[in-house]
Amino acid sequence: MNYDVVVVGSGPAGSVTARFAAEAGAKVLMIERRAEVGVPVLCGEGISQKVDAFNLLEGKRWIANKMEGARIFSPNGTMITLSAEYAGSETGYVLYRDIFDKELARGAVRKGAHLMLNTGAIGLLKKNGTIKGVMAQHFDETLEIEADVVVGADGAESRIGKWAGIQTTLKPYDLETCAQYTLTNIDWESPYCDFFLGKKKAPGGYVWVFPKGKDVANVGIGILASLSGSGKALKLLDQFIASYPELKKGEPLRFLAGADPVAEPVESVRDHLVLVGDAARHVDPITGGGLMTAIEGGKIAGEVIGKAVEQQQFDQQFLSDYETRWKEAFGKKLHRNYIAKEIMLDMEDKTLDMLADSLKDYKFEEFSTLSIIKALVGKHPSLLVKLAPLMKLARA
Amino acid sequence: MVKPKAFVRKEICLACGACISVCPQDALLMVTGKALVNNKLCNSCSICVKTCPVGAITWEGTEP
Repeated sequence: MNYDVVVVGSGPAGSVTARFAAEAGAKVLMIERRAEVGVPVLCGEGISQKVDAFNLLEGKRWIANKMEGARIFSPNGTMITLSAEYAGSETGYVLYRDIFDKELARGAVRKGAHLMLNTGAIGLLKKNGTIKGVMAQHFDETLEIEADVVVGADGAESRIGKWAGIQTTLKPYDLETCAQYTLTNIDWESPYCDFFLGKKKAPGGYVWVFPKGKDVANVGIGILASLSGSGKALKLLDQFIASYPELKKGEPLRFLAGADPVAEPVESVRDHLVLVGDAARHVDPITGGGLMTAIEGGKIAGEVIGKAVEQQQFDQQFLSDYETRWKEAFGKKLHRNYIAKEIMLDMEDKTLDMLADSLKDYKFEEFSTLSIIKALVGKHPSLLVKLAPLMKLARA
Repeated sequence: MVKPKAFVRKEICLACGACISVCPQDALLMVTGKALVNNKLCNSCSICVKTCPVGAITWEGTEP
């Protein structure tokens, strides 16, 4: 088998990369180790409305719920509201991720990409040290898929990066270990995505309730692996649900466990190789959200790879245009929020309560970590010392 | 004394891959839809045991 590009993984980052590379005229194969695109869902299923601007999705079947904003609850329950009322039109959706992923994959196929299921990468094909494609297992067949560019879109546990010599092992400090139920028969009709903070509730992370309909919601937890213990994420999630009568009466339609990288991005380009999405650690370290960066980064990767195929140049230097452009698009924000994560981890619950108390009546102009930081420093000039590194990055 | 190795209880593992992404020894692999420990590489550091969100990883010899 011979292609210009082989994309390993059919999640959003892989599909969007494949779409734009195929659109630019490259011969693209996307491989997926599982038997169905988008399944199992490993996600809280929240996304910013910014996704609309990319115009990649047809219809509305992928939308479970359109949200009016977000509410953050500090450890003692003080609520901060980031609502559409104050924040213009910039809100978000709760998704059906299985449908969302399939729609993005369909988009890639419509542009000419090929897709193979039940096909897991087992190694890189190399000749004299140069990457020439991937080895893959398809049922009982071992395939040699030759390609000029290999795209690692293989998620948090990326093997592709590792095989290419990129250090992708996550420190426990840089990984959220997650569990989530989709609960039905609950009393949680709300136009808000809710986030609950607190060292006891979710050490180094948060509990979320993302409503998918009037009596259905994703109720999940992410805790920092360095603060975790065996099965702790699930235990804390069960405790949280038991403490809310509105949720306790619910029954689960789905359960999932997962891992979310909250790290600084890794090297994303080598000769003949590109990493996208979670594999490149393109995830906001504060929210753990990685869908928008996967799509934004995937589009850039696909465009650069398309150009590489057109000009038959596959060296690191040529492909590094991808790295330059994703750094411009969201690299600063990811770095700033990584520093913000470190500062937040350092804060006691009572500090978070105090901060929440001073922001509870604040009218936010946009939904962003930066807007919260700015509001905090405005209210508490004494915080400036602690938040100074962030302010500097925010202005950069 | 030889330290016990990490052991994945297949009946609990949901194949989320959290253990694989944190193992400093690359001793974990997804094999036929479940995580599996390579005993030759495992150095008993316990990171995977603590990381598993559903408590599917225990120590060899202590599994029920």
